[in-house]
Amino acid sequence: MRRLPLTVIGGFLGAGKTTLLNRLLRHAGGRRFAVLVNDFGAIDIDSRLVVAHGGDTISLANGCICCGIGDSLVLALMRVLEKVDVLDHVVVEASGVADPARIAELALIEPLLARDGVLVLADATSVREREADRYVGDTIRRQLDGADLLILNKADLLSDAQLADVATWLRQRAPGLRLVPASHAEVPIEALFGLAAGDAPARDAPPRSPAANDATPDGPPIARWSFTSRGPVDRAALLAALRALPDSVLRAKGIVRFADAPRQRGVVHMVGRRIDVSADGPWGIADLRSDLVLLGTPDMPDAAELDGLFAGVAPAVSKSASW
Amino acid sequence: MSSTTIYPARRIITMNAHQPFASHVAVRDGRVLGVGSLAELEGWGPYTLDRSFESLVLLPGFVEGHSHAYEGGVWKFPYVGFFDRRSPDGAVSPGLKNIEAVVSRLRDIERGMTDAGQPLLAWGFDPIYFGGRRMNAADLDQVSTTRPVLVIHSNFHVLNVNSPVLAKAGIDHSTNVHGIVKDSAGKPTGELQEIAAKYMAYRASGIDLAGVLSDEEAVWRFARVAQLSGVTTATDLHNELPESTVAGYRRASASEDFPIRLLPAFGAIALPVDEGVRKLKALMQHNNDRLRFGLVKIVTDGSIQGLSARMRWPGYYNGLPNGVWNTGPDDIDRLLQAYHDAGFQVHIHTNGDEASEVALDAVERALARTPRRDHRHTLQHCQMADAAQFRRMAALGMCVNLFANHLFYWGDIHYSQTLGPERANRMDACATALRTGVPFAIHCDAPVTPIGPLFTAWCAVNRLTASGRTLGESEQIAPADALRAVTLGAAQTLKLDDEIGSIEVGKRADFAVLHEDPLEVPPTALKDVRVWGTVLGGRVFEAPAA
Repeated sequence: MRRLPLTVIGGFLGAGKTTLLNRLLRHAGGRRFAVLVNDFGAIDIDSRLVVAHGGDTISLANGCICCGIGDSLVLALMRVLEKVDVLDHVVVEASGVADPARIAELALIEPLLARDGVLVLADATSVREREADRYVGDTIRRQLDGADLLILNKADLLSDAQLADVATWLRQRAPGLRLVPASHAEVPIEALFGLAAGDAPARDAPPRSPAANDATPDGPPIARWSFTSRGPVDRAALLAALRALPDSVLRAKGIVRFADAPRQRGVVHMVGRRIDVSADGPWGIADLRSDLVLLGTPDMPDAAELDGLFAGVAPAVSKSASW
Repeated sequence: MSSTTIYPARRIITMNAHQPFASHVAVRDGRVLGVGSLAELEGWGPYTLDRSFESLVLLPGFVEGHSHAYEGGVWKFPYVGFFDRRSPDGAVSPGLKNIEAVVSRLRDIERGMTDAGQPLLAWGFDPIYFGGRRMNAADLDQVSTTRPVLVIHSNFHVLNVNSPVLAKAGIDHSTNVHGIVKDSAGKPTGELQEIAAKYMAYRASGIDLAGVLSDEEAVWRFARVAQLSGVTTATDLHNELPESTVAGYRRASASEDFPIRLLPAFGAIALPVDEGVRKLKALMQHNNDRLRFGLVKIVTDGSIQGLSARMRWPGYYNGLPNGVWNTGPDDIDRLLQAYHDAGFQVHIHTNGDEASEVALDAVERALARTPRRDHRHTLQHCQMADAAQFRRMAALGMCVNLFANHLFYWGDIHYSQTLGPERANRMDACATALRTGVPFAIHCDAPVTPIGPLFTAWCAVNRLTASGRTLGESEQIAPADALRAVTLGAAQTLKLDDEIGSIEVGKRADFAVLHEDPLEVPPTALKDVRVWGTVLGGRVFEAPAA
């Protein structure tokens, strides 16, 4: 059965969730997103791109839909799942006080969804103050703790030293945190949601609509590195290499033939610090080949460094990197 | 010329301080023409003497300030609660005293179902009275191993399901999801909590559940079940007000036979504020005698027994972490200010005392920015407020509606687990409201607990828990005060005290008609006073005998 990836975007009021969602809708790259938002009015949609506007749902020319959550996320999500056939990805904007990790768990009990990532935005200028607030401190802490990837937004409003301070503080309170600084929520959309053509091996790629090339290239550049091997992959070595990646690597996706389960198609999925490895049935007639793609910010290590990091995983056939 | 009817009664308890008791009430054009002796009323001209209530006691029609029309919705499904509960047709659905009884009842219902794929949904279940035994999937598999079976707990936050539901959702030992309860061996028990429960209830029963819960029929059932308990005005105190629901309200309330005045409150979070204000103003254009829009609701925190109330230090007695915000402090401020500025009255759900504090702060700030007399913003539930918070309510011109039924249904849990003895003994502090002069009502929050103002009044008077413990004698109030809280007090919290809530000249002829005199029975028997029926705008609604 086809499962739609579910991404949950969390973060306190003013952290930049709506900015990120607006960017996503403009740069959907041909993937048909359903975006569930709290405040319909805040979504900035070019009216020329709206093909239908019915009550709490707006349909866009690029195949995306935007739905108001109203007062029930559960019902809004169910309404969206009725349209599962014309969608590729579901994105939920958690309310400013919700725990986005809890919302993402719905994908674990919904056969039509697969948990993708929990992206939490934090306002770099105020997150420390918020975290200490008597009323919302614990709410902020739950959000930070549940983040697969933390987007430290509004970095442009701080000096380098201030930004480094906040980042250090965040890392100390949550060891293992994957953090990417950003301004105006400018993080490579493709790396957050996995749009790039090279993200998934071709056989998994979603159908492309004619609008695929509409995305304007004004977003931040993306870095990509891929790895292909026909040899068996050492599971522990792969996990170790993934865990050792720096924060600038935002996402990894792979179809892998593990040495310890060579008949099973292994699927590796990483968003931020969260790594999921699952078995996806037998290889069948598919090419017995392991592919892994990393996506990240331009700060991502160069090809040579990544080649070195993954050297012990399997004998590589080809590696490539692009910026 | 309009006709006048004069009703003699055994006693009329008016809630009017000038004339607390009387023997006769005259009704003309659906309103109270006069109250007094027959001789005093005869001066109004020709009349018909109607002796229907001669041996009965009249009170102002009860006003339920915090209920939900979902009470009517859930009666579409079987009730499997611990306590007897009256259904809209007047029959008593008997309480089920153990899990086996619940299973047996559901099995009987299942056998009568024809469509094999249709899920079986039941509600009102509460295992806290079963001495620790929880329901599990194996219990419900005895009902059916093929049909989805879902049992919603009385708090509406927890759900028990059978194996087919778990299997369909792919829930097994490897599913690590908050709210999916597992046994010591790591196997899901079939109990689901909070968002997982809500999701599964809707998922397994179909998307139209929300519609079914608030359609026209549901509104009718709600009105009937309210009327059976003597209620003439009831709120639906949180609704997104989609067109379909509004249409259902309108059709139901257009009938002369519709037995209550219905006051829906708009859930402010559902729309951006400018749209919400526009929507409400448009809805209010069509307000009529039996349907009034205009109330606004903000939900701040969760529930105490659901461990989701926002509590001040020192938090939960059992040491569990603080609850969660449904609407965060910044949004509470924003929403309250907007609806305050637009002239609306806002009802603010606060269970924990931290939530009450945030709401009080928000009202104080809104008033500093936009001074406004007689706004009567009302804290709803407000179960943990201390005397200082009540004094702030009084100073800010606020009202409060206290959840007295909690004392009985969850008082024991509050005493032993959530609040601890000290705070449990002062929860739902009616006597403090009286002492501090905060206009107050008491409520049932149906369908969370059954609608029944006499029972609610009994709770406030006696403060007895289900196990028989008295929770805080110092917060007990007199029967007369409790009866005022379910009539004039509640009307005051809804800004309708000029129109309903007492029996006096000019007001609407809305009466609760009782077999016994609630001020003459022992206070412990207040809940056992029988309701003969109601009068709504002069129209008589006799209730079927229980």
